[in-house]
Amino acid sequence: MAGASAPAAAAPSAPSAPSAPAAPASRWQSARFRRRVTASVIFAVMIVVAVVMLYPFWYMSDNSFRNQAQFDQQRGHSLAGWTGLFRDLPVVQELVSSTVVCVAAIAIILIVATTAGFAFAKLRYRGSGLVFLLIVAAMMVPLQSIIIPEYVNLARFNLTSNYTGAVLVYAALGAPFATFLMATYYRGISDELIEAAVMDGLSYERTFLRIALPLSLPAIATVTVLQFIQIWDDLLVGYLFLPTNDRTITVGLAVLSSGRTTGIPPLMAGSLLSAIPAIIVYLIFQRYLIRGLTLGMGK
Amino acid sequence: MSLSAAQPVRRPGRSRLARRRRLAGLLLSVPAILLVAALLWAPIVQAIRYSMTTWNGYSAPVWIGPSAYTSALSDPILHRVLENNALLLLAVPVAIGIPLIIAVLLHEHVRGWRFFRSVYFLPTAISWVVIGMVALQFFAANGMLNQFLADVGLGSVHTDMLASEYTALAALAITFIWSMIGTNTIIFLTGMATLDPTLIEAARVDGLNRWQIFWRVTLPLLTRFIQFAFVITVISAFSALFSLIFVMTGGGPGLGTTTLEFFVYQAGFAQGQFGTGALYGIILFVIMIVVGIGQLRLIRPEDGEGW
Repeated sequence: MAGASAPAAAAPSAPSAPSAPAAPASRWQSARFRRRVTASVIFAVMIVVAVVMLYPFWYMSDNSFRNQAQFDQQRGHSLAGWTGLFRDLPVVQELVSSTVVCVAAIAIILIVATTAGFAFAKLRYRGSGLVFLLIVAAMMVPLQSIIIPEYVNLARFNLTSNYTGAVLVYAALGAPFATFLMATYYRGISDELIEAAVMDGLSYERTFLRIALPLSLPAIATVTVLQFIQIWDDLLVGYLFLPTNDRTITVGLAVLSSGRTTGIPPLMAGSLLSAIPAIIVYLIFQRYLIRGLTLGMGK
Repeated sequence: MSLSAAQPVRRPGRSRLARRRRLAGLLLSVPAILLVAALLWAPIVQAIRYSMTTWNGYSAPVWIGPSAYTSALSDPILHRVLENNALLLLAVPVAIGIPLIIAVLLHEHVRGWRFFRSVYFLPTAISWVVIGMVALQFFAANGMLNQFLADVGLGSVHTDMLASEYTALAALAITFIWSMIGTNTIIFLTGMATLDPTLIEAARVDGLNRWQIFWRVTLPLLTRFIQFAFVITVISAFSALFSLIFVMTGGGPGLGTTTLEFFVYQAGFAQGQFGTGALYGIILFVIMIVVGIGQLRLIRPEDGEGW
């Protein structure tokens, strides 16, 4: 697949060759012709890359509608993959778990990130700059570096026997970037607006709730979409900190796959099923996702 | 950090307001501070402590001290694991180069470029578990890759990349490159949107062809974005591939695809060596800090904010 884009590099210069001997009279026409050829070549390359990017999705759907024999021969279709999936995996329960964990963790992230983001942007106190820096710097901590003490701590407080432990860890992992994003957003709100609300007799806390929070809905949407995809897709935290009965769909699939006892078609069905919610969210909220990514560049 | 700028005149009412503001700030930032301190900062301190012990998680930990690091660093298994991390770095230029080309082509705004952009970014929404599951079928002995080779008349080049150490790592790297295309393309597209079109136009008037414009004008102006993509890609390669390795290879064959992050999991949770696992985690953290400091230095000079 890496080779797919190789011809792209040469594409723009290729059409220039035939136009060289053109007479001055037809120069306008040849320039237009050249542009058309270039556009077509680029278009063709774009199509090839699109096929490379989309093929896995086609592969999943195609092979989910097969039984193992049909899969081995790559011909014929049936519902075997899907019935097999629902037999081997508590799909509905795992989808519910995924939803519960996502909603709970995102709720915590939004609460701490909006309040702290507003405080660091508009209600600074002595040392708040340093605290903000420490929180943002926590983004640099790789999960694997703290996973062992995290596990020890959560197990000590008996938080790995239900959703609580995983939810807290997801919330903590998401909080630094979310706080950074919210603070960046709130910095764009004018001080005068805040002070005017306070002069009108609102407390700073109420000003946050009534004025700042409603204004920051786009940033809240960005945080929500980013975190939903992150948490829905995660394996490590869910695998280690959720009890077997409360596994998310992503964890359930990975464990099922590593067992090497389930056929490929059910795994493809499960992969597709687990990907669908994230794809839907992506398709609807794409621009928020992109904004979140580019905000990370410090723009 | 200082509030002095906001209060040019000190009046009694003003200073009472300022006090209320500071209190509100403290109050509103407490939940985030508690969450991050308890679940991110405290464990780092603990991990440093654990890393200097021998501990299986059940019996009492045995203190070793800093010498745990000197003995771990001379462990040939760790060297093999670090070699895998180093080899993964070879994928980084490819994972940046391909999206750069794609972004340049997309920026030509040919018909349907918005659609293509959405399609290329789509894998960003998909979990590494799902990506790994399909990649497993792609590289399998009877999988898509061999089918494709047979279809184009290269049936004799039958591959079984996941069966030996270095080819398995290569398969992992290729999957990783595929997954990074969307993210890095978006980064470069964002970068190109910030470019001044008159510069490109001026270069064109000066007689530079597309190729020259790309090398001499576009690329230098994109430096900052390329650096950002580089950091993101390195961080992902070193700390986001656990699920992919878990699903595709389980770290094998042998230690063929065991990177540092996967090694932490194996030592800690598969072999019950909490001390050693924590130590590998700290090594990973140090590497990430080095990469991260690089990024801060890149962002700082152009950011007026100064934090």
